[in-house]
Amino acid sequence: MEQTISVFLLIVAIYLALGVLFAIAFLRKGITKVDEGAAGTSWIFKLLIFPGTVALWIFLLPKWLKA
Amino acid sequence: MAVTYKPVLWNRQKKIYDRLLWLGIFLIITTFSISEVLMYPDITIETVIIRATAFTAIILLHFILMIGPLARLDNRFLPLLYNRRHLGVSMFFIALIHGVFSIVQFHALGDTNPIISVFTSNLHYQEISAFPFQVLGFFALVILFLMAATSHDFWLKNLSPKVWKTLHMLVYVAYGLIIAHVALGTLQYETDLVYWVMLIGGFVTITGLHIASGIKENRRLAAQKNALGEAGYFEVATLSEIEEKRAKTLFINGENIAIYKYDGKISAVNNICRHQMGPIGEGKIIDGCITCPWHGYQYLPENGQSPPPFKEKLETYQVKVVGKHIWVNPSPFAEGTFVEAAEF
Repeated sequence: MEQTISVFLLIVAIYLALGVLFAIAFLRKGITKVDEGAAGTSWIFKLLIFPGTVALWIFLLPKWLKA
Repeated sequence: MAVTYKPVLWNRQKKIYDRLLWLGIFLIITTFSISEVLMYPDITIETVIIRATAFTAIILLHFILMIGPLARLDNRFLPLLYNRRHLGVSMFFIALIHGVFSIVQFHALGDTNPIISVFTSNLHYQEISAFPFQVLGFFALVILFLMAATSHDFWLKNLSPKVWKTLHMLVYVAYGLIIAHVALGTLQYETDLVYWVMLIGGFVTITGLHIASGIKENRRLAAQKNALGEAGYFEVATLSEIEEKRAKTLFINGENIAIYKYDGKISAVNNICRHQMGPIGEGKIIDGCITCPWHGYQYLPENGQSPPPFKEKLETYQVKVVGKHIWVNPSPFAEGTFVEAAEF
């Protein structure tokens, strides 16, 4: 069971690491393509959005690709 | 052009709300901590923090879950609903402090990664009495994180209202996990009956309020349906029956009607295209216009008019949404009459 849990947590860690990379790129360039309301927003707004972007990048990626 | 997002849309009421909230949090944490120190003089500061934040987060979660049904039962509770997202985010941060201190206190001193240790230090997953209750708290914290992280309006728009709402309904799963976390964990080591009384009392209160508000809502919907029936409306469909940007067509009192669902709204127009009598209800909404499947003639759903410079017009009908049901009044308005869409 320990091994199963470790593998599961490793997968989650990889997902989140990809999320960090995605979030950095998305908040620099993609966000304004996906949502024009994000144009000209402050760094505080982007900081607020960052954790959710890391966790839910899988939902934002298709939107960015379509935009 | 969309409105540019702000980090927080502050106003006077929200500032007052937040000050009262933080004062309440301060009072709960202080009172609980002092009583812990008085009852257990040898207690460590870490344990006080773990217990005080757990207690405060649970109190806030109960409060959060009570606000919705209370506001439905009595309008005077609506001000509490106004800034509930700040309440939720505050509760998450307090729960996070509890989680971090607990993981550091109980899992950071060994060779195993602390997060892995949460899941593997106790492997009695098949035993209720020795169940690794911290895992339940961990998953509850993950849900609370997702809710706090997506509390900004940006997420409501970009996840879609349906996904966002589903995500935020997970608060009830988090509540269940937390109840189990407390019941299987802390209470295994507490002999004081007061904790059980509080836990069960909180559960009964929240469940009771939800049942009471559900009964009231059902009565309101029934009264609304009766009133609509008397006003000549017919119940014609459920919201889930109609695909987004598509229509359901039907005959009522000799009227051929197409009921369209789009962007959280419902509109009804006559089902016969003015071009060559095509069945426009078999078309879909393209670029905001109902589009006839035969030759692409277009009409705006709320007034049945073709966008300029075209002149074609359809009859429109009054629609209402009650709960998840769509009602339509088959008495047509004159061609091109604006009828406000029913929102859901």
